[in-house]
Amino acid sequence: MILIAGSLGSGKTTLLQHLVTCADRKIAILMNEFGEIAIDSKIIQGKHIEMTELAGGCVCCSLAGEFEAAIEEIIEKVRPDLIAVETTGVAEPDAVIFDVEESLPQIRLDSVIVLADADAMINFPDLGYVTRAQFETADVILVNKVDLVGEDELDEVEERLDEVNPGAVMFRTVRCELPTDLLFGFDRPARDVSRPPPRDHTENIQSFTFTSEEVFDHDRLTAVLQDLPESVYRAKGFVRTRRGQFLFNAVAGRVSFEACKASQTDLVFIGYCVESERNVVIQSLNDCRIP
Amino acid sequence: MAIPKEVNRITDSIWEIPASYKDGMRVPARIYASQKLMSEMDDGVIDQVTNVATLPGILKYAFCMPDGHWGYGFPIGGVAPIDADQGVISPGGVGFDINCGMRLVTTNLTYDEVRPHLKKLVDTLFSRVPAGVGSTGFLKLSHGEFRTIVEQGAAWCVDNGYGREDDLETTEEDGCIAGADSSKISQKAVERGFNQIGTLGSGNHYLEIQVAKPEHVYDAETAKTFGITIPNQVVIMFHCGSRGFGHQVATDYLQVFLKVMQKKYGIQVRDRELACAPFRSPEGQDYYTAMKCGINMSLANRQVILHRIREVFSDVLGRSAEEMEMNVVYDVSHNTAKLERHMVDGREREVLVHRKGATRAFGPRMDGLPTRYLDSGQPVIIGGSMETGSYLLAGVASGDQTFYSTAHGSGRTMSRTKARKQFHGKKLQRDMEDRGIYVKSVSFAGLAEEAGGAYKDIDEVIGATEAAGISRRVVKFLPIGNVKG
Repeated sequence: MILIAGSLGSGKTTLLQHLVTCADRKIAILMNEFGEIAIDSKIIQGKHIEMTELAGGCVCCSLAGEFEAAIEEIIEKVRPDLIAVETTGVAEPDAVIFDVEESLPQIRLDSVIVLADADAMINFPDLGYVTRAQFETADVILVNKVDLVGEDELDEVEERLDEVNPGAVMFRTVRCELPTDLLFGFDRPARDVSRPPPRDHTENIQSFTFTSEEVFDHDRLTAVLQDLPESVYRAKGFVRTRRGQFLFNAVAGRVSFEACKASQTDLVFIGYCVESERNVVIQSLNDCRIP
Repeated sequence: MAIPKEVNRITDSIWEIPASYKDGMRVPARIYASQKLMSEMDDGVIDQVTNVATLPGILKYAFCMPDGHWGYGFPIGGVAPIDADQGVISPGGVGFDINCGMRLVTTNLTYDEVRPHLKKLVDTLFSRVPAGVGSTGFLKLSHGEFRTIVEQGAAWCVDNGYGREDDLETTEEDGCIAGADSSKISQKAVERGFNQIGTLGSGNHYLEIQVAKPEHVYDAETAKTFGITIPNQVVIMFHCGSRGFGHQVATDYLQVFLKVMQKKYGIQVRDRELACAPFRSPEGQDYYTAMKCGINMSLANRQVILHRIREVFSDVLGRSAEEMEMNVVYDVSHNTAKLERHMVDGREREVLVHRKGATRAFGPRMDGLPTRYLDSGQPVIIGGSMETGSYLLAGVASGDQTFYSTAHGSGRTMSRTKARKQFHGKKLQRDMEDRGIYVKSVSFAGLAEEAGGAYKDIDEVIGATEAAGISRRVVKFLPIGNVKG
């Protein structure tokens, strides 16, 4: 599950449309009520949700009851690969995170993405309190509408956001366009890990990969993967250890391992300027091989 | 919070932040609070109330009531009196839940009469008054009928058999605010609202059965005027607003205002959440008109719920609502912008008073009061947490200092998420039942969010309003049964 938040007009609908268009998986969007993303679509009544179909097998759902019940109904009826919750009017992001961690064990919580409207931030000296509370929970901040703002102003915007949430990774975007790879982890179907994310506006995003046919010491490998350098915003792939084979996903320090078939260890590490960490990380991974 | 050094304590209950505190402040800001409440206020309150003081047309002071805490642009508990001709209107100063408010209903029943039926009453109310996120009402309306209701308010309900004429007399605006025009609301707002009339909603919305113990009647004469005459009299208080409809109206117009505020009107505000437009501008008037639709929708909502409550009591207790004298004391709003006439610096002016999470509290003999309350002053209903109790107060002449505004509730002290981490719904329900309060909720998580510990001390808040002279207590009520969304 990914969460999407942001103030009025920051680009949430644009981001959702981008996700549905570009992503190669089945996405269910959950919102408080149907926005522009689902006009003119037939509405299917559920018990805790109302649903409309979007392109590519994706669906958009509006909340008509309790959040947990709605999520369970979505999982049951739609069987999506990913649920994108647009939190406005549903609950504040930290409340959703709490809900998922407490009561929805079948969900892996991936990124919390908050959109910053760079243009609006330049025009208004204060960051609203409601908006600030959202930025505080973000893993990723998309500094959107950068085409409307100068380079110096952008630096200022990023500084202000950094003050509110020093841990979040920021990507500069125009119309929320960025490789969707950056926004979510891996899913079951085998993925081509060695392909780095394409570069458009995200020039400083770098990646490196690690591949090995050897078997690794489970505890030592998982320890390394749980303690990656800060600049590695996202890491994902497959690992083979003495204890078995796992699908590994990490975003902004949040790590998960799920049992999964894997023929070899295949990992990709993504973040700002991570090339400089490449050697250190690869060395510490190699040190976990079973001799 | 650590109280900034620039804050001057004017009286025991009034704290003033001078206009020199922040660039752009046109007037000082005043926070009404006791020492204890002031030290417990979050930093956001000072930030926000001083931002409100920068709005074009603001008169005298930007206020924050004793139960204040940070909100969208304006603090909750915020009162902004703005010159109608020179100033702006701002949806953040009204709130997303337009016309969220409280209605108080008396009965001629005593606690002893009601106690044996309490569980059945609460259970039946729970099943017959829809509550919870996304709940839909029992009124099956078309979009067209809904558009009519938002123009006619509670008057439509009475005309269609939901209640009595005298219910309207004891409602602000006589149950319908004039000038609501449904052409100013979006189709999306209609779609969100048309099946929500007759629903409580969720969050801090509730329906409570309460008791007035003799030792909690502070002014017997005014209590009598307000209908409290019997020891251990049972009353019903409920709290709800305009649901998704009001929310959509606010969202729609925040977007409109953001587009025109700077470009068309050259208005600069520090915080985008303070989006506004000149009150007399076409956009400002459109929002004002749409807001009135929100007011009427919530008045209709409370009227229809009242009707349901009367039906349930009648069914469970086997007597008619008339026999049980189920009468409305008053219906107050706490999220509105009202056009009123006030004396400002010796001159009478038209003032647009924004009250968000704050209640109007007209003093004796003021225009707009029902005849029966001309001597006593307006009834003011302030709800505490579901564990502690609520108050009925009266407006006073010295309320002119805050443009006749006072607190609305006891104000949250922690976020909903923090409350859920600290309190447990099921345990709370059991504890309350041990103390004689029977509560039924749609969601245990929602119940935890409403724990008494998540709110300020209501007695402290009421004490501060009285000490400051903006309202005076008449009766305190203790909860015995509660339905929560």
